[in-house]
Amino acid sequence: MKRTLLIALREYLENVKTKGFWLGILMMPLTLVLVGVMPQLVESAREAKTYAVVDHAGIMSDVREMILKDDFVWFLAKYDDEQLANSDMPTQIAQFLPELRALDDSERSVIANYILEDAGHDLNLSRRLNALLDTNRAAFNSWWRDLSPSEKAVFSPGISTNHFVESMVTAAVATQDTEKRLNQRVEDGELFAYFILEDDLFQISDHARYASNNLTDQSLENWLGGKVSRHIRNQRLKSSNLDDKTAAWISETVTFESVTVGADGTQEVSNDDIARQWAPLAFVFFLWMSILINTQLLLTNTIEEKSNKVIEVLLSSVSAIELMSGKILGIAATGLTIIASWATIFLLFFVALPSLVDARLPIDPTAIFGDITTLSLFLMYFVLGYLLYAALLVGLGSLCNNLKDAQNLIMPVQMIQIIPMLLLVPIIQDPNGSLAVTLSYIPPLTPFVMMNRTAGPPTDFEYASTTALLVVSIVIAFWFAAKLFRAGILMTGKPPGVREIWRMLRSPVTPMKSKSQPPH
Amino acid sequence: MNSIELNSVHKFFGDRHAVQNLSLAVPEGSVYGFLGPNGAGKTSTIRMIMSILYPDSGTLSVLGDTTPERVKDRLGYLPEEKGLYKKMKVIELITYFGRLKGLSKNEANLRATRLLDRFELSASRDQRCEGLSKGMGQKVQIISTIIHEPEVVILDEPFSGLDPINVEMVRHLILELRQQGRTVIFSTHIMEQAEQICDHILLINAGQKLLDGPIQSIKQQFDDTIMIEFQGDPSHFQMEGVTRVNNMGRNAELSIAAGKDKQQILRSLMDQLEITSFSVKEPSLHEIFVRTVGEHQT
Repeated sequence: MKRTLLIALREYLENVKTKGFWLGILMMPLTLVLVGVMPQLVESAREAKTYAVVDHAGIMSDVREMILKDDFVWFLAKYDDEQLANSDMPTQIAQFLPELRALDDSERSVIANYILEDAGHDLNLSRRLNALLDTNRAAFNSWWRDLSPSEKAVFSPGISTNHFVESMVTAAVATQDTEKRLNQRVEDGELFAYFILEDDLFQISDHARYASNNLTDQSLENWLGGKVSRHIRNQRLKSSNLDDKTAAWISETVTFESVTVGADGTQEVSNDDIARQWAPLAFVFFLWMSILINTQLLLTNTIEEKSNKVIEVLLSSVSAIELMSGKILGIAATGLTIIASWATIFLLFFVALPSLVDARLPIDPTAIFGDITTLSLFLMYFVLGYLLYAALLVGLGSLCNNLKDAQNLIMPVQMIQIIPMLLLVPIIQDPNGSLAVTLSYIPPLTPFVMMNRTAGPPTDFEYASTTALLVVSIVIAFWFAAKLFRAGILMTGKPPGVREIWRMLRSPVTPMKSKSQPPH
Repeated sequence: MNSIELNSVHKFFGDRHAVQNLSLAVPEGSVYGFLGPNGAGKTSTIRMIMSILYPDSGTLSVLGDTTPERVKDRLGYLPEEKGLYKKMKVIELITYFGRLKGLSKNEANLRATRLLDRFELSASRDQRCEGLSKGMGQKVQIISTIIHEPEVVILDEPFSGLDPINVEMVRHLILELRQQGRTVIFSTHIMEQAEQICDHILLINAGQKLLDGPIQSIKQQFDDTIMIEFQGDPSHFQMEGVTRVNNMGRNAELSIAAGKDKQQILRSLMDQLEITSFSVKEPSLHEIFVRTVGEHQT
């Protein structure tokens, strides 16, 4: 045991000096940055799309008004306090903005109508707010209408005119020529796309066209298409002699409130619950990466040591089993160090950093990662999963003299290692379904599938029985790996075929009967 | 008292019978040579003694223990194919191997320092192994083999690939170990080296023992040979009574059939060749080797 630990210690110290180790540690923050920051960076780096509309239907002025209003509602909800404070916004308006932000979406929409369209409102607001709104609504209206899209974008980057810019065309009459010119402008990159709204669009819904040389990016089409549809629908409702309220009621979409069913009945859903539901994905991914990285490290390390010719010197001091266990242990320690660093980095990133810069996160990370059960499961499944794959790979790897031979031999194991990634989404969508339950009992998949199912969660019986099965498989895998390792580690030349391996596996463990080629 | 005993040991690799019915006794404090051509079973035998391999049948006793794993710490082994951890520093590496042999960290470090000094490697103490020259690497490996002061030192083909200076160093080391009362086993297929250093030899071919025992008594089992220094046509050596000729150019070693008159043969040689010197001697190990292996193969 002392020698096993010595070997493990050396293995560990050697590994932490390698580039692979530090890359492994950096992978976590890199992934976090990629997942968390990149989409925003990409979004902000994206150029605004310019479009033109040939409006035979004569509805665009109304649609533009709708866009102005929708952006205003967005602004009320998402304005940036700091930017607003530095702007020339009249203070009498700025003073009641926080109260408007506190309203819900539909209430803000009513307020937008009230301010921008001089409509009435029936909201139950405080008398003070009512008074403020009443005095300032004209000023607010003209302030908003006078802002350029870029000025609006400063207050709230998400507004639509920051992303979609209309290029005005004056084409009252549809001519072949108009389209030709627009085509040319698209071709020149001047326009991202143009829309043609036929004059009978009110009657016939598909009398509209969208032309672009990029049909994969549908954001513009969806956005303006949505506004035009809404406008046409409103028009049709109006023409049916419905009053505004009935019309609004008819066009309301049904929304579902998401709740998770807890043990003690129904609970209201919070962002944290949604996060908890999806957290297994992140856990499975990191579990998978950790196991993959560490077993690969073990494999390359074994083969390198074999080609280094150090093995025989080591075997004169320790037994093959001690050597194998030492290696597996040392690399497990390396893996656990990487995971511990990830946890630290994660805490810094999500807990310490936001509180330093006073930023608010959409979810509370401690809701997921503070959960001691999930963390313990992660650790347990890392250790068990690693041990199983380590035994398989070190056994087969010891038969090879170079990585190329090894790649062929361990192909089946690698195929199995890919399966958990393919099953990620189906399992999380139905964590207690028969597919998920069945796969939990296949030992090489157990760690990933069970981790994937934590949101389910599986029953205690399932945890116990699958873990027992996994542990038994690990013992068997080690038994076989020891046989292969003893026979293989001193072998030179071509790796053995399936029949030869089978013969090695059938031989008793002690005393060793090496059926391999003679060393010299 | 024997350091190592083997009784009817067999070892198979697949269908190959690599070691066949080998019995052997290595006396304590002797320098014991395992001689034989490549593939004879020398390394397999050594690996069984080191419990790196296990015999398929037969028994083994090392330092009085029939479970050789238990005495690994008292053995030192330098394999033929020896490597170093390239990224480790010399001192770390030697200390590590010492600790694997059961030394404490301090003790291993202390002895490593002392041995590095003795082998004139103190300057390379903190160098990484990848930066060592071949000869320096060799010394580091030797230090790692003897750092725990083993009672039995086993060297597998210790001279192969060495330059004359390092051959000399290894030769000195073996003699020094003998002086300290340790048992040394080494394998080689170069007979001259064995002849110079060994007290005992094992001659093995194709897994079978041909001869073993003290080198002197083995030589006595063979007839004397005539060593001559000559000038002239070596075809004249082919005459009745001369069973084998080991022609080295200007020297030749002639094996004489039993019962033949050596004087008579010498006289007839002198008639046909110019003989500048001659002596009647015990056969060389080379001669014994070639003769025995030849007989064994026919």
